[in-house]
Amino acid sequence: MTQIDSKVNRRTVMRTALAAGLALPVGGALASCAGGGSSGTGSGGGSTAATGKTSSDNPFGFSAKSTVDAVIFNGGYGTDYVSFAGKVLEKKWSGSKVKVSPSTQIAQQLQPRFVSGNPPDLVDDSGANAIGINTIASKLEDLSSVLDANNLEGTKISDSLYPGVRERGLVGDKMLVLNYVMTIYGLWYSASLFEQNGWTAPKTWDDLLDLGAKAKTKKKYLFVWGKEAATYYQTLCMDSAIKEGGDEMRLALENLKPKCWSMPAIQGVFAKLEKIIKSGYMKPGGAGTQFTQAQAQWSNDESGILYPSGSWIENEMKSQTKKGFKMTGIPEPTLTSSSKMPYEALNAAPGEQFIVPSQAKNVAGGKELLRAMLSKEAATNFAKTKLAPTIVKGTVPSSGFGSTALQSQIKMLDGAGDNVFNIRFVDLYGTNPDMLVPWNSFLSGQLDAKGLTSALQQITDKVANDSSVKKVEIK
Amino acid sequence: MTGLPVAAPVTSPKRAGGRRVRPSRIGFLLVTIGLPMVIYIGLVIWPFIQAIYYSLTDWGGFTSTMNFIGLDNYTYIFGDDIFRKTIRNNIILAIVVPFLTVVLSFLLATMVTVGGSSTGAVRGLKGSNIYRVVSFFPYTIPAIVIGVIWAQIYDPSKGMLNGVLTHLPFGWGNNFESFAWLGEVKSAMPASVFVIIWGFVGFYMVLFVAAIKSIPAELYDAARIDGAGRLRSMWSVTLPMVRETVQTAYVYLGVVALDAFVYMAALNPTGGPSNSTYTISQDLYKTAFTEGHFGRASAMGVVLAVLTLAFAGIVFGVNRLIAGREQ
Repeated sequence: MTQIDSKVNRRTVMRTALAAGLALPVGGALASCAGGGSSGTGSGGGSTAATGKTSSDNPFGFSAKSTVDAVIFNGGYGTDYVSFAGKVLEKKWSGSKVKVSPSTQIAQQLQPRFVSGNPPDLVDDSGANAIGINTIASKLEDLSSVLDANNLEGTKISDSLYPGVRERGLVGDKMLVLNYVMTIYGLWYSASLFEQNGWTAPKTWDDLLDLGAKAKTKKKYLFVWGKEAATYYQTLCMDSAIKEGGDEMRLALENLKPKCWSMPAIQGVFAKLEKIIKSGYMKPGGAGTQFTQAQAQWSNDESGILYPSGSWIENEMKSQTKKGFKMTGIPEPTLTSSSKMPYEALNAAPGEQFIVPSQAKNVAGGKELLRAMLSKEAATNFAKTKLAPTIVKGTVPSSGFGSTALQSQIKMLDGAGDNVFNIRFVDLYGTNPDMLVPWNSFLSGQLDAKGLTSALQQITDKVANDSSVKKVEIK
Repeated sequence: MTGLPVAAPVTSPKRAGGRRVRPSRIGFLLVTIGLPMVIYIGLVIWPFIQAIYYSLTDWGGFTSTMNFIGLDNYTYIFGDDIFRKTIRNNIILAIVVPFLTVVLSFLLATMVTVGGSSTGAVRGLKGSNIYRVVSFFPYTIPAIVIGVIWAQIYDPSKGMLNGVLTHLPFGWGNNFESFAWLGEVKSAMPASVFVIIWGFVGFYMVLFVAAIKSIPAELYDAARIDGAGRLRSMWSVTLPMVRETVQTAYVYLGVVALDAFVYMAALNPTGGPSNSTYTISQDLYKTAFTEGHFGRASAMGVVLAVLTLAFAGIVFGVNRLIAGREQ
């Protein structure tokens, strides 16, 4: 009896197991790729856009009775600021409607819509699952017309913005991306903690080394880091090296030049950071710590005293910041006193990339919504509720709505003047995940500056030599 | 499409010859086999064929057009040191995870069913019902939660594990001050493997318990009369009787280990130190969605599917060899 039973069992088991063996990996791993199933439908839709007449008050020919479909990344800034701008638009054009859909999976959710030729009118392409702009460049509107238009108050939009917006949005010779939020990279610390201990904010790498020694006597570390954010230190090093070596350094990195990581400016910075690591001024264990945990070690436990990051840090750590922690940002340190750019120079990149797909039903509507977002009313609302400046100048009072971090951001921006630069190649080619690997090893002391250099060069060369990747020349 | 048995009486004059294929039977077959087949072909086989096709193109994922480029994607991914490393990691996982899980859960199952006192009736250890329930708990937690919980436990500064280990005597504890379990090349993979096993051991124990319960108690009694101890009866009675269950468990665990996406993404989303825990599915995801190379990602998916089929094939082959020797 048992024998027959087991035979029948074996067959069924075999069949199920084989089916499972086939179904699980294929279903699980490839289902996401099967989105292209509708690829046959081609590029329909597109030109049904309702367009009205253009005028200086209606630069894109927006049809007042139309609906604008916006898909907005629901991250640190939420989506209510776009809804707010939508209200501004609806007030100006009665009868129009703005539909804002939040998403945290921009690439995954919009991929089928792009393939079937039915993308939204406006997309906030941000977050960890953003679509690489390079891969959809041919399907996007040139947004120069938005900068050339007048804002709702009647001044030309490009005159009302911080510098660098157009450059940051260029892909080739077209401005395909409008970055809305001004993101400032710098070193962040607690002014109150520094005051208590009689420390001064560092301006050079040597200052950092001194400060590291002082912090050690108080049983604190100079820096903390988390595994997903190890490349914040790459940004710190690149920015410092660009201040030291100027455009030559910047363009070598941006255009993926051979041996760009071996240039003297960046090597000088790596050597200093290596010394900091070897001296034990980095809090150990970062390679196994989640980055928000690591950031809390700085903003809450204060076991680390400095953190290199962008201006989103205040909003991100809001719930985990110690009381009385006067969060303040300062420019990144310079290597020598003879650097090509002044200490005040900033990597201040507009972020949160907004795009308007050319095949959208209401292209004019997407641009009109951007125009509404760039109005004084909507931009001030953003700064006030998100404690971060937009690319629109003059929306933050010197009181910074009561935030020390926001105050310091405006101070940094004013101090930098025209010495504002940014770095795009990491986002353009999506190399950050690869770069995290050697950075984690370097920061935990398992890799020296030489090993870091060759690992980064290998990653850069791989993109440079991959003929299937379209390169964007950066000037 | 589905023929209904209503039509049966019309053709009834012909049935005199004792033919077996009656319309009602066709209808029955269409519903029971045809419909699942259509769903299976549409949702499993067809996407699979599509993925194979995409893997031969330069599809970026956001257009409706693509060019056929032959085997270029395969040449590229096999020339890529990171992808080769993910294959290596997945193979390690496919060897270690099923083996350890099956051994551990089999031992546990034996203990709670037949590992008890060797006098009197065959039974498990005292309080075995409690062990059974408790060890099943982890399986009821979703994989992503398991990953998140253990990522916290392994945290170097505030994690529970180092919190305990730093109190070890004789200065051993100092070694675990801020020790990054998931951040050191030598510990990241073992720590991740432990989490996967922790999540599955309870379930497979219950599976083996069910299998062992179906073994007639007389076999154990006979073995005992012949002088077999606990280890001997485990090896010579229990194991051969549950061999089919072991095989099923092995294949399922292998499939889990070859994917491992959820666990690894929760424990080490960046691939671990020097990519030591990076898996094929993670690399596939990154290639598709951050780098915009859907063709390349499809090629990785095909490689993963082939590996999985090969794994299942090997398990069946080995099992058949052992069975052959026994007979």
